Amino acid sequence: MFKLFKTILKTGEATLKYPFAPMPISPGFRGKPEHTPEQCIACAACAIACPANALTMSNDTEAGTRTWQLFLGRCIFCGRCEEVCPTKAIVLSEEFELAVGNKSDLYHKATFKLANCTCCEKPFAPQKEIEYTVDLLKQTGMSAAAVEAKRNLLQTCPDCKRKQSLQVTDKVELTRFMKKGSEA
Amino acid sequence: MNEPSKIILPGGNNAVTQQIKQSEEVQKLKGTLLKDIQRSAYVYRVDCGGCNGCEIEIFAAITPLFDAERFGIKVVASPRHADILLFTGAVTRAMRMPAIRSYEAAPDPKICVSYGACGCSGGIFHDLYCVWGGSDKIVPIDVYIPGCPPTPAATIYGFAMALGLLGQKLKAGNHVQGESERATMRHPGVPAELRVLIEREARRMAGYRRGGDIADDFLGVLGTKSTESLEARIQEYLGKGDDPRLTEIVTNLCEISTRAIAAN
Amino acid sequence: MSAIAETKVGQHYIDALRQRFPFTVLKEEWQTNEQVTVTIKLGDLPNVVEWLYYNQGGWISVLFANDERSIHGNFAVYYVLSMEAGVKCYVVVRAEVDARTGEFPSVTPKVDACVWGEREIRDMYGLKPVGLPDERRLVLPDDWPETLHPLRKDTMDYRVRPEPTSNVENYKFVNDASGETREIPLGPLHITSDEPGHFRLFVDGEDIVDADYRMFYVHRGMEKLAETRMGYDEVTFLADRVCGICGFAHSVAYATSVENALGIVVPPRAQVIRSIMLEVERLHSHLLNLGLACHFVGFDTGFMQFFRIREKAMTLAEMLTGARKTYGVNLIGGIRRDIQKAERLATQKLLGELKKEVTELVDMLLETPNLTQRTSGIGRLDPEVARNFSPVGPNIRASGFARDTRSDHPFCGYKNYSMPVRTKNTCDVLGRVLIRAEEFFDSIDFIMYSLDNMPNGPLLAEGHVYKPYSFALGFVEAPRGEDIHWSMLGDNQKLYRWRARASTYANWPPLRYMLRGNTISDAPLIVASIDPCYSCTDRVTMIDVRKGKSTTVPYSEIERYGRERKNSPLK
Repeated sequence: MFKLFKTILKTGEATLKYPFAPMPISPGFRGKPEHTPEQCIACAACAIACPANALTMSNDTEAGTRTWQLFLGRCIFCGRCEEVCPTKAIVLSEEFELAVGNKSDLYHKATFKLANCTCCEKPFAPQKEIEYTVDLLKQTGMSAAAVEAKRNLLQTCPDCKRKQSLQVTDKVELTRFMKKGSEA
Repeated sequence: MNEPSKIILPGGNNAVTQQIKQSEEVQKLKGTLLKDIQRSAYVYRVDCGGCNGCEIEIFAAITPLFDAERFGIKVVASPRHADILLFTGAVTRAMRMPAIRSYEAAPDPKICVSYGACGCSGGIFHDLYCVWGGSDKIVPIDVYIPGCPPTPAATIYGFAMALGLLGQKLKAGNHVQGESERATMRHPGVPAELRVLIEREARRMAGYRRGGDIADDFLGVLGTKSTESLEARIQEYLGKGDDPRLTEIVTNLCEISTRAIAAN
Repeated sequence: MSAIAETKVGQHYIDALRQRFPFTVLKEEWQTNEQVTVTIKLGDLPNVVEWLYYNQGGWISVLFANDERSIHGNFAVYYVLSMEAGVKCYVVVRAEVDARTGEFPSVTPKVDACVWGEREIRDMYGLKPVGLPDERRLVLPDDWPETLHPLRKDTMDYRVRPEPTSNVENYKFVNDASGETREIPLGPLHITSDEPGHFRLFVDGEDIVDADYRMFYVHRGMEKLAETRMGYDEVTFLADRVCGICGFAHSVAYATSVENALGIVVPPRAQVIRSIMLEVERLHSHLLNLGLACHFVGFDTGFMQFFRIREKAMTLAEMLTGARKTYGVNLIGGIRRDIQKAERLATQKLLGELKKEVTELVDMLLETPNLTQRTSGIGRLDPEVARNFSPVGPNIRASGFARDTRSDHPFCGYKNYSMPVRTKNTCDVLGRVLIRAEEFFDSIDFIMYSLDNMPNGPLLAEGHVYKPYSFALGFVEAPRGEDIHWSMLGDNQKLYRWRARASTYANWPPLRYMLRGNTISDAPLIVASIDPCYSCTDRVTMIDVRKGKSTTVPYSEIERYGRERKNSPLK
């Protein structure tokens, strides 16, 4: 019993001063995800990787926009979004003071423009994603002229690309092998 | 509130719970409650079927290091004594009735707090068959404390906010893409393929966060034009930390960059 | 699948099985060199399992069913046995159940340990274990429709929520007491009901004659979630949230099961860091239990001191993983966070402090007359009962059995380290408390050793080949005991079946035998001594067998009585 009192006295005041002083946090603590919309290319990698569906992407083809949304109420603070983001647009901060009185304050949104396909004029990819691809190609060493020449291809949707390629293959003799078979 | 559109499930038969309605008088009384209980708030925990991580962190909030009792917050054994009801866990089917009974046993006016990701919205379990998806599906909630689990410090902050001692920090965000908004390329001085190889290797060796930082530092050294040789600059960078593990990782990165530069 | 090229550990069990039961083995498949799955004829299932259990030194780890109708037209039941006498390995006995009848012979009459698994199979699949003595629901809530079986592939989408069938709890509680007993139905008249588990004690005066309990109030449906919304690489984060106290153990067990199934070799550094994190989790969990043990014997100062020191273990976890709880560090193929110089030095410092302070506290605890008096001889888990029910962890080690996954089936960083296995022969609560205290210091030693002998190399193995329908077991020693997962991968980058068996699942069935013969004031202490995975009950109904009377008392009253030993709530 005496030893116990000694321990208690030796310990002294164990309580942390928080909230009257800042809370000591270990570096690398996983707190609130911070999204920098300027850096975001709306590729949806984070939404696919999020295990809790806290990050969602929805398209509005009428208005030609794509909306990114983070619902902090569902976030499990795992950091998968940070891990998969190609442009480091979302990073986990050390913020933990997240209590709110109104549920709508837990939602963060960012809206991005969709680009239209040069061929069919329908929206198919975020504008910023295409611009980023152009920059990336330049960084691989391609000349600016070569990249601009590719731009038309970059701004074509997959369906139209497929249809455009078909026109080239109609010159191939499809019955070539069939003829050979009947001769044998 | 801007959820993805309601999914029509095969076979139909999808029950929905009703949130208990509060009368107007009760809502008015709540305003005076806060003034009355500021230095002495009795909390009753209602466990609606969580993994128990939240329960452990609530325990920790009462222990000496965080000491929620400094603010007069006391955890009580019966809902009849409670001013604040703390709901943890995504509401499982088995716990729906017990939780509602606890809510009804606590006298009005009372404050209801939703604790943790599961309490706020059902968390990672939000759409499962045995879960109703968050405490606000059955009772009206006044304060939401997100986290998985919320740290004891976040808990104390949440309570202080519920009692009106601290202000709310978090606000909803809404950004619309501006004109000529463009994502900046990181490390434009380094060829893209090399950058990807370095970042991949750093992540493989040191995880996404620390690996990302190491890759950034290394690519920074690579990208800046300097009169000193690459080896000298790397040595200088490593010398500061004196960490054999860091040396090992950076050596790997050097090998990769040497091979890539030689190949071109 | 070149991992099987090495010697198959346990081949002799299968050879002996073929000799003892000729013509019953239809197929023999090895998942790793220590795990084999034998498919046998359905009719021989009870005899084969009993023979492996009692004659060959096996213990039931888990048993479950799988809806394999889309693969070969039938269901299948799997009985996983951990063979621990002599040569140690895992033998999985598999039998196919005809989809039309859905019947299979129950093994419970021969091996008690199978009771919960078979009840769960009935709940989740609707298969009928013929001869199972206990016909009650186990897992699904009382308001769930009778004919809806969630884990069948064709019954329902994972999001379907049926209308509640009742607003009244209608679970039947059974007891082995001789003589008349009165049973009180639980209804909407419950004034407080805040339990993730409800107990019923059948008492004679102050002595407990028998006990029964209703669990699974926290059943969320995770196994179905893993088959549907989640990709197989996201399930590590889901597994972290199976339990708030030993979540990381589940995450490692799951990742290991997939890595074993696909033959992924996890780099040595990642394996060692995984085991370090497992031991860090053990530190905080054992301190929690020691603190609760203090609380239940009335030594509240001790409780506060243990929790104060436990915060250091939490800070340690936060520094190493980024979160105090639910570490989120596992990926398939390795981990996503390193231990570098700064963390290593800070960890060594914290461990030194922990070791010193906990040594002092434990000494003080053991010198408190309260503790030895209140825990010695209490909550006895008879070795024979233990052998029949296959409990795990400190629970069974206190009854003299040296069962510890880290030394029986070495995994991760334990392969190159001989972990001491702490046992006692007293079979009581005191034994369990002492074992946990000893294991605490073993964990610290292990972490110190591993930090000094950390291999170099990467943290993650990339570029594996995905093979649909491959399956395997993954196992760890959580703070509460053996934690075992089984995964079968589907053909869509998602799991086909995931079975997560937490350690406490195996410890609940023998609890009623541990409660028998003790007094009511000891009940909270006994329940806490198996270190259940959630803070237990809030409500206990006591039924006096002799007087034919029942009293309902809040659990906090029982706890208080346990601490103060005055003013019995029954009077």
